[in-house]
Amino acid sequence: MTKLLEWLLGVSLIGVAWGLVTFDLLDLRLPPVYREVAWPMPVYLLVAFGCYSLATVGFRVATFNDCEDAAKELQAQIKEAKEDLRKKGLKM
Amino acid sequence: MATGADQFVGMGLVGFSLLLFTYYTLWVIILPFVDSDHLIHNYFLPREYSVILPGVAALFLVLCVGTFIAVVTWRNRKPKKVE
Repeated sequence: MTKLLEWLLGVSLIGVAWGLVTFDLLDLRLPPVYREVAWPMPVYLLVAFGCYSLATVGFRVATFNDCEDAAKELQAQIKEAKEDLRKKGLKM
Repeated sequence: MATGADQFVGMGLVGFSLLLFTYYTLWVIILPFVDSDHLIHNYFLPREYSVILPGVAALFLVLCVGTFIAVVTWRNRKPKKVE
């Protein structure tokens, strides 16, 4: 079974479980509190994943090492390339 | 380590997402188990908004991305053919 099929199977199983609880398709008559918690679950998981992504990006931005030398070298190379292209007739 | 503005923005993002996650978790998961006459309910909108607000935000994001693509495509159109 391919990874795609595995993921689709897992997602549909969870989706069916969620649907059963939210819409009470099996007439389980769960306490209303659990239904209250269950129905926003897809949106909640999406928002939680978004928060995690944002936090990861922010953390990596904050802890990324500055590379002073590499930055200077890159600036010099950009200048050199612009000069070269200007000589060859490209208008910037 | 990154310096100055990078650190500030990065940690700001981390703090903001932690705040958002905590508030949203309280709203969706904790609040249904709290008695309906507890004071904490005053700090949260009715439950429907916990689904409507993210939905509207996602729609708005898609709208922004679509508008950006449309504007850029329009600006780069050439007469008679599109490169």
